[in-house]
Amino acid sequence: MGEYLLEVQNLKTYFKVRAGKVRAVDGASFAVKAGERLGVVGESGCGKSVTALSIMRLVAQPPGEYAGGSILFEDQDLLELPESAMRKIRGGHIGMIFQDPMTCLNPTMAVGKQIAEGLRIHLKLGSDQALKRAVSLLEQVGIPDAATRASAYPHQFSGGMRQRVMIAIALACNPKLLIADEPTTALDVTVQAQILELISGVCNEFGTAVILITHDLGVVAGMTDRVVVMYAGKVVETAPTDELFANPRHPYTLGLLSSVPRLDEQRTRELRTIEGAPPDLLQPPPGCPFMPRCTFARAICRTMPPLDPVAGNAAHLKACWVDVTDPKEQAYADRRRKARLEAMQAVINTPTDATVQQTS
Amino acid sequence: MDVPGQINITPSEEEIEELLELTPALVQKRRSQVRIIFDRFIRNRAALVGAAYLILLFFFCFLGPTISGHNQPDVIHPADASQAPILKYPFGTDDVGRDQFARAMAGGQVSLLVGLTSMLAAIIFGIGIGSLAGYYGGIVDNLLMRLTDVVLAVPLYLLLFVLSATFSDGSPRSVIFLIAIFGWTYAARLVRGEYLALKEREYVLAARTIGARNFRIMFRHMLPNAAGPIIVNATLLVGANIILESVLSYFGFGLHPPTSSWGNMISDGQALYELAPWLVFAPGLLIFVTVLSFNLVGDGLRDALDPYMTER
Amino acid sequence: MGRYIIRRSLQAIPLLLLLSIFMFLLIHALPGGPEQVIFNPHLDAAGRAALRARFGLDQPLPVQYLVWLRNCLVGDFGYSFATNQAVSAVIAQRFPATLQLFGISLLVALVLAIFLGVISAIRQNSPLDYTVTTISYFGLAMPAFLLGLFLQDIFAVQLHWLPVSGTTSLGYTFDPFNAFLDHLLHLVLPVTALSVLFVAGWSRYMRSSMIETTKQDYMRTARAKGVSPTSRLVRHALRNAVIPLITVVAIDFGAIAGGATITEGIFAWPGMGTLFLDSLQSRDFPVLLAILLLSGFFVVLFNLIADVLYGVMDPRIRYS
Repeated sequence: MGEYLLEVQNLKTYFKVRAGKVRAVDGASFAVKAGERLGVVGESGCGKSVTALSIMRLVAQPPGEYAGGSILFEDQDLLELPESAMRKIRGGHIGMIFQDPMTCLNPTMAVGKQIAEGLRIHLKLGSDQALKRAVSLLEQVGIPDAATRASAYPHQFSGGMRQRVMIAIALACNPKLLIADEPTTALDVTVQAQILELISGVCNEFGTAVILITHDLGVVAGMTDRVVVMYAGKVVETAPTDELFANPRHPYTLGLLSSVPRLDEQRTRELRTIEGAPPDLLQPPPGCPFMPRCTFARAICRTMPPLDPVAGNAAHLKACWVDVTDPKEQAYADRRRKARLEAMQAVINTPTDATVQQTS
Repeated sequence: MDVPGQINITPSEEEIEELLELTPALVQKRRSQVRIIFDRFIRNRAALVGAAYLILLFFFCFLGPTISGHNQPDVIHPADASQAPILKYPFGTDDVGRDQFARAMAGGQVSLLVGLTSMLAAIIFGIGIGSLAGYYGGIVDNLLMRLTDVVLAVPLYLLLFVLSATFSDGSPRSVIFLIAIFGWTYAARLVRGEYLALKEREYVLAARTIGARNFRIMFRHMLPNAAGPIIVNATLLVGANIILESVLSYFGFGLHPPTSSWGNMISDGQALYELAPWLVFAPGLLIFVTVLSFNLVGDGLRDALDPYMTER
Repeated sequence: MGRYIIRRSLQAIPLLLLLSIFMFLLIHALPGGPEQVIFNPHLDAAGRAALRARFGLDQPLPVQYLVWLRNCLVGDFGYSFATNQAVSAVIAQRFPATLQLFGISLLVALVLAIFLGVISAIRQNSPLDYTVTTISYFGLAMPAFLLGLFLQDIFAVQLHWLPVSGTTSLGYTFDPFNAFLDHLLHLVLPVTALSVLFVAGWSRYMRSSMIETTKQDYMRTARAKGVSPTSRLVRHALRNAVIPLITVVAIDFGAIAGGATITEGIFAWPGMGTLFLDSLQSRDFPVLLAILLLSGFFVVLFNLIADVLYGVMDPRIRYS
C-alpha cells in the first residue's frame, strides 16, 4: 500500500436533473493516511456529504453518476470495483455514520440484531457469537446495561444513544476507515462533546482513520489532524489543523475564520460575513468558484487555480492565485470590499423594480 | 502559489469595477397557487385523459339528446326490437325496441346526477361533522368520532339493501339520500384529522386573538387549507357512489322505472345477455370508464395538490 | 403487550354497545315496527302472545332493548320466517361456505398484492410498473357484479373451461380426490371475481408503502453496512412496508359476513350472501337483522385484531 490509506483524485460526482447536470463534486482531491483524522469543512451544499457518499459508492445511480476521477482505497480504485466487491468494503473495511440518528435505525429490529447483522455478513460469525459481540460493542460505546438494552428497539433510545449505536454498527467489523457525516449536527450541544470524544477514543484504540465532515469549525479544531476546505464541489485548501487556523491562505478560509465571532471582540463591532451566495451548481462559472464573492479577485481568477503547496510548507495546499499574506493584496482587498459595500448600498437605496428577489 | 511577477500586480480601478458583479437578481414571476397546481395536473397524462373523458361525457349526456336527436329513451319501437348496434341505433335496441343510445344518455344524466349530488351531500355533512370534531376537540370530538365509528362499522351494502327495500320509493331523491347517509364518514375523518393539525397553527391563534368568531375561523381560515385532501376524496367519492348506485339498481333496490340509470339498464339487459350482449356492454362500459376517469382525475389531483400543500 | 391488547379491547366494547343500540333502533324504525320483525305472518294469536311475552314487547323500550341484547348474547336471534328454523342454526349452516370463499379470496389477494406491489415499487416507472398500476386502476373502477358477470360469461358460458355456478357439479358422484378437484374448479371464478378488487387496492397501497420505505434513512444505513440487496429488501424494507398493509387487510377481512354477497349471488354460492339476498326477497327479517348484527360485530372485532396486529408488528406502537 502506498503512503495513503485513501486517496481521492479529481473526483467528479454529478446529478442529472431536468434542467441539466448538478455538479455536486467537481474535481475534489485529498488523501488520508492510516490512523489519521481528516476534517472536511464547508458550507451547506459545498459537496462534502456527496464526497463521503461517493467514497462508499452510496450515491443513487440515477440521478447520480460518477463522472470522473478515482478513489483509491488501499491502492484499489473503488469506482472500478464490481458491486459485490464494494459490498464487502462497505461495513467491512469502511464504516459510515450519518447525520440524523433518529431515522437511521430500522424501527422494527432490535438494536443488538442491527449491530450483529454486519458481524454476520463480514466476519461470518454465527448468530449467538454475533449477538455477544454486539453486546460488548454496546458496552464499548457507552450504553449502560448493554445486555438488556441489546434487545430494545431504536425508539427506546435517545438521540445521543442512537448515535452511539450507529457508531457501534459502523465500527463493529473493525474497519480501517470511519466516515462520519456531520455526526453531531442533529444532537444537543451537551451530547455533541460526548459523541466526539467517543469517536476519538474508539478510533484511537483501534487505529481507525477518520474522515469527519462538518460545517462546525470548532469541532474540526478539537478533533482533527488535517483539514480539507471545500467550496462548490472543489477543494480550495488543505493543511494540518493548527496550520490552517493559524495561517489560512485561501480567501474563503479567511472569510470562514473571520466570520466566527470572538469572545474578545468589541461589543459594537459588526459581525463579518462573506457577501454573496454560493454559485449555481448547474452551470458553474469557469474558473475559481469563489471568484464572485472574493475580495481578492482579479482577471486571472477566471482560470481555475491548481491545488498547490504554499511557499515554504509542502503540507499546506491552496487553490488560489493570490498570496493573501501580502500587505499590498490586503489593501487591495479592503478597497474592493469598501467599493462593493457602497455599490450595494446604492442599489438598496434607489427604488427600482428591476431587482425582485424571489424566495420560493 | 506565489509566483512572482504578473500575478501579484494589484488590479486597477477599472478592473475592480468590472469584477464587482453583484449576483444577478433573480426575477421570477410568481405563479399563483392555482396555476401551479393546474400545471402539475396537466403534466399527468392519465389524469388529463380522465378529465377530458369526463368533460366529453357531460356533453354527451346532457347535450347529446338535443344534438343527436336521440331524445326518446322511453318510446318503444316494436318493429325495431332487439337490434344490434347500427347507424340508426348506435347502441342497439332492447326487446321492446327502446333506443339504447337515448337510454344511455338519459341514464347517464341520472347516474351522474345521483353520483354528484350524493357526493356533495356527503361531503358537506362530512365537513360539518369533521370540522366540529377537529376544531373543538375533547368531548365533542369523542362523541362525533364514536358516531362515525358506528356508521363505519355497519356493513354498507347490506344495510343499504335493507333500508332501500323498506323505505325507498325508487326515486332519485331516496337513492341520493341513502347513499349520502353513509358516504360522509370518510370525509368526516379526513376533515377532522386536518383540523386537528391546523388548529395548532399560528394563524388560528392569531385569528382568535383578534376576536374572530369560531365559525369564521373554521370556514374562512382553516377550510381553504384543508381543501386539498377533501377535493381528492370528493372526486373519488363520485366514482364510488356511481358504482354503489349501479349495484343497488342492479339488484332492484335502487332506482325504479320510469327513471333509469346505467345500473337498471344492466339488470334489464342481463336476461337477454345471450341474444343481445350490447344491452349490457354499453352501460357496463360506460360505468367502468366513467368511474375509472373519476379515479384518475382524483389521483391526479392528489399528486398535484399534495407536495405543494404540505408546504403550508 | 398484554396491556395494549386489553386497552384496545376495552375501547371496542362501547362501540359494540352503540352498534347494538343502532340495530335495535333500526328494528323499531322499520315500518310495522318490531312486530313485523319478530312475528311470523302465519302465527296465530296464541303464538303471538307467547312471542310477545318472550321478547317483552309490552315492556318499556329500554327493557325491550335489554331483553333483546341478552337474547343476542346467548345467540338467540329468533326464528326464520321462511323455514322456522332457529336463525342461529341457519346462519351457522351457511357460514362455512362464505368463510371458505372469502378466506381463500383474501389470502390469494394478499399474496398477489404484496408481490405486485413490491415489484412495482422496485421497478418504479418501468413498463412492468405501468402495467400493474393500470390493472389496478381497472380493478378499482369495475363494479363487482360486472366483473363477476363477465368472468362467468367468458370462462364458463362461452369457453366452458370452468363451471358456471355452485360449489359442486350436480348429478355426478366423485371419489374424494376428484370431488376435491371438482370443488376447486368451482372455486376459481368466484375467488377471482372477489379478489380482483382487493388486489387492485392493496397492491397500490403496498406499492406506495414500499416506495416510501425504501426512501428511509435506515435503508441507506443497511446499504452502508454492506447488506446484500435481497436481505435489504426482505429484512429491512418489506418488514416495515408490509405493516400498514396488514392492518388494512385485517380491517377488510372484517367484511366477511356480508362482503361476498354480490359474488355469491352471481355464482350461486351457498353462503351467507345468498342467504341474505333470499331473505331480502322474502322479507325474512329475523335472518336479515341477525346477519346485519353479525356483520357489524365482525367489523368491530377485526378492527380490534388489526390494532393488535399492528402492535405485534411495530414495536413503536406497543411500547408507548
